[in-house]
Amino acid sequence: MIKKILEILKEDCECAYKGLPKGMKMRVDDFDLWYGKTQAITSVNMNIQKNKVTAIIGPSGCGKSTLIRSFNRMNDTIPTVRTEGHVWLDGYDIYDDTADCVEIRRKVGMVFQKPNPFPFSIANNIYYGCQVNGMDVAKDEVVERCLKQAAIWEEVKDRLSENALSLSGGQQQRLCIARALAIEPEVILMDEPCSALDPIATAKIEDLINELKKDYTVVIVTHNMQQAARVSDYTAYMYLGELIEFGKTKQIFENPREESTEKYITGRFG
Amino acid sequence: MSIRKLLAIWIFFVSIVISLIGFHSLAVQSEIEYWTMAGSLILLSISGHACGIHNYSTKKDGKNLFMLIYGSVILTIAALSFYIPDVLDLRPWEIYARIPDHFFFALIMLFVGIFTSYLSFRPYHNYNKEGAQSGALYVLHVTILLTLLPLFIIIFNIIFRGAGGITYEFLTEDIVSMGEQGGVYPAILGTLAMIALTAIIVLPLGVGTAIYLAEYARKGLAVRLIRTAVNILQGTPSIVHGLFGYAFFVLIVFNGQKCLLAGALTLAILTLPIVTRSAEEALNAVPGDLRDASLALGATKWQTIRKVVIPPSLPGILTGTVLGLGRAAGETAPIMFTAVYFSGAGTPRSLLRPVQALPYHLLSLYRLVGYRDVENQAWATALLLLIIVLGINISAIIVREKYRQRF
Ligand SMILES: Nc1ncnc2c1ncn2[C@@H]1O[C@H](COP(=O)(O)OP(=O)(O)OP(=O)(O)O)[C@@H](O)[C@H]1O
Ligand SMILES: [Mg+2]
Repeated sequence: MIKKILEILKEDCECAYKGLPKGMKMRVDDFDLWYGKTQAITSVNMNIQKNKVTAIIGPSGCGKSTLIRSFNRMNDTIPTVRTEGHVWLDGYDIYDDTADCVEIRRKVGMVFQKPNPFPFSIANNIYYGCQVNGMDVAKDEVVERCLKQAAIWEEVKDRLSENALSLSGGQQQRLCIARALAIEPEVILMDEPCSALDPIATAKIEDLINELKKDYTVVIVTHNMQQAARVSDYTAYMYLGELIEFGKTKQIFENPREESTEKYITGRFG
Repeated sequence: MSIRKLLAIWIFFVSIVISLIGFHSLAVQSEIEYWTMAGSLILLSISGHACGIHNYSTKKDGKNLFMLIYGSVILTIAALSFYIPDVLDLRPWEIYARIPDHFFFALIMLFVGIFTSYLSFRPYHNYNKEGAQSGALYVLHVTILLTLLPLFIIIFNIIFRGAGGITYEFLTEDIVSMGEQGGVYPAILGTLAMIALTAIIVLPLGVGTAIYLAEYARKGLAVRLIRTAVNILQGTPSIVHGLFGYAFFVLIVFNGQKCLLAGALTLAILTLPIVTRSAEEALNAVPGDLRDASLALGATKWQTIRKVVIPPSLPGILTGTVLGLGRAAGETAPIMFTAVYFSGAGTPRSLLRPVQALPYHLLSLYRLVGYRDVENQAWATALLLLIIVLGINISAIIVREKYRQRF
C-alpha cells in the first residue's frame, strides 16, 4: 500500500518536474487559454532565457497581456479563465495541481501597465511584499536597496513617509518596479510599463531594464517597436492569440522569417 | 440700466412674492381669496405683456414674442380659476375628502410664481445662453430650498417646543405617574444599550457578508440568492421585523420574555441590509488594480483583503453602519413587541431583562395626550431622540473625515 502511494507520488513529481536546459528560466509548452468560450491563446511554445530580456510584441488585442499574466498565474483572478498546457519555471510546472500560486508569484514578480501603487507611504509600498511573505529583513535596508535599484532613490529619499499617490506617474511606475524587486523575485514581468510615461521617464525605465537583467530574468510586453529593439535580447511576435515568430531580437528585426512579422515591424500592418 | 432689465427684475420680485404667498397659505392653511390670486396673476400678466411688447418693438424675434404669449397664458389661468368650485367634493368617487378652493389658488400661485421668476432670467440676459444657464441654476436652488425647508421647520419646531422640557430632573429620574412627572433616565440608557448591542451584533455579520459577496463569491446562483434576500430584507416594513422578532426571539428563543437581547437582535436584522450594502459598495469601490498589485507580490487573498482592500473602504463601511444604527435608534415597531416596557423596567441590568426606550416612550406618551398632561414631556422626549439620532449621524461624519485624512 505505502509502496503504491510512494509510486504515485513519484509519478506525480516526475510529471510536474522537467529539467530545463542550462540557461533557460521558463518554458511555455503548448499553452492554450480561454476566456469562457473564446480562445485568447492558441498553442504557444516559447523559451525564456535566464538573465535576458524577452520582449512580446504584436497588435492590440492579440493576447500579449493574457500571455504574460499566465506566467505568474494572474489570470486565475478572472473566474471565466480556463487553461491547457504547461508553463515550466526552473523545471517545475506552475500549472500543476499541486503548484502554489502564492509561491509562484513570489518568484515571478509583475509590473502592470498602469502604475498602481498602494495608498500607503512610499516606504510601506516597498515593504508590503516583505511583510506579506514574512521575510525577515530590515525595512530601511530593503527600501533603500529597491529604490536605488529602480533609480528613484535620489528623488524620494527625503519623503519616504509621504503617500505614494503624491508621486508623478513616472515616479509611481518606478516605485512599482521597486516594489516588485523587494520580494527578490527571479523573473520580472512587465506589461507595457512605459505606456503612460513621457520619453524621459521611458528612457529611465529602459536603462533600468538593462541594469535589471544582470540579476533577473525580464519579460516585457511593449507596443513600441524601437523599445523592443533597444532593450530586448529575444522577441516574440504574436498575432490573434498565436505566437507567429520567436527568436533573437536582431534576427526578428533584421530578417524575419514570416511575412506577417515583417509587415508588423515595418509598419505596413493591416 | 435698460428698461428690459428693469422689467425683468420687477417680474422676478413680483413672482417671488406671489410664490411666497402661495407657500405660506399651503403651510399654515390660511385662506386665499379668489381676488387676491386673480389680482396678482393679472399684475404678472401685465408686466409680462409690457416686457414682451418692449422687447418685440426693439428687436423682432420669435423669442421676444414668448413673454407676450406667456402673459396671455397667465391671464387665461386667472380667468379659468374663476370656475374652480368653492369646495371640491370627492365623496361621489368614494374618497372621503373635500378640497377647498383656496388650496388650488395657493398651488397655482406657488407654481406660477416659481416658473415666472425662472422665466424672468431670460429677458434680463437678453435671451442668450447666459439667461438659460442662470435660470436653470436658480431652479436648482429653489429645489434645494424646498427640500431643506421642511427639514428645518421640523427641527426648529421640535427644538422650540421641546427645549423647555429638558431639565436636570427629566434627564436623571425615572418616569412618575404615567409620564406626567419625573424623567426618562432609564429610557435613555435603554436606547443607548440597545444601539450598542445592535452594533456589536450587526458589524461582524454585515461586514462579513459584504466581504464574502464582494471578494469571494463568484457570480452564481448562491450570490444572487443572498443579494435578493438582502434586498427583500431592506424593503420589509419594520413592523414585520417586530412581529418576526416577537414570534421567533421572544416566544421561541427567550421563552416569552421580552428582553434587551431580543430587541437588539431584531434591530440587527433590520440594519443588516443597510450595513451589508454600504460595506459592499465601499469594498467594490477599491480599484481592482490594487488587488492585482497585492496578489502579484505573493500576498494571499486574505492578506490582500485585510491590508489593501479593507483600510480604504473603512470610512464607507463605518458611515453605512452608523447610518443604519441611527435608523435603528429611532425605530419603535421592531422593539415594542420584543424588548420594551413603557415603565417599570428600570435601568438596563441584564441582557435578558426588558428595558425602556425613547421611541417607545414617545409613542406611549402620544397615546396619553388628551387624557393626561404629558405634552411637554412628549416634545422633550422627541427632542432628546432627535439629538441622539443626529449625534450618531454627526459622529459618523466625523469618523469618516478623520479616516479620510489618513489615506
Ligand atoms: N477579462 C477578459 N474577459 C474576456 N475576454 C478578455 C478578457 N481580457 C482580455 N480578453 C480578450 O482576450 C484577447 C486578448 O486580450 P489582451 O488583453 O491579452 O490583449 P493585448 O495583446 O494585451 O492588447 P493590448 O495591446 O491592447 O493591451 C482580446 O480579444 C480580449 O478581448
Ligand atoms: Mg495589454
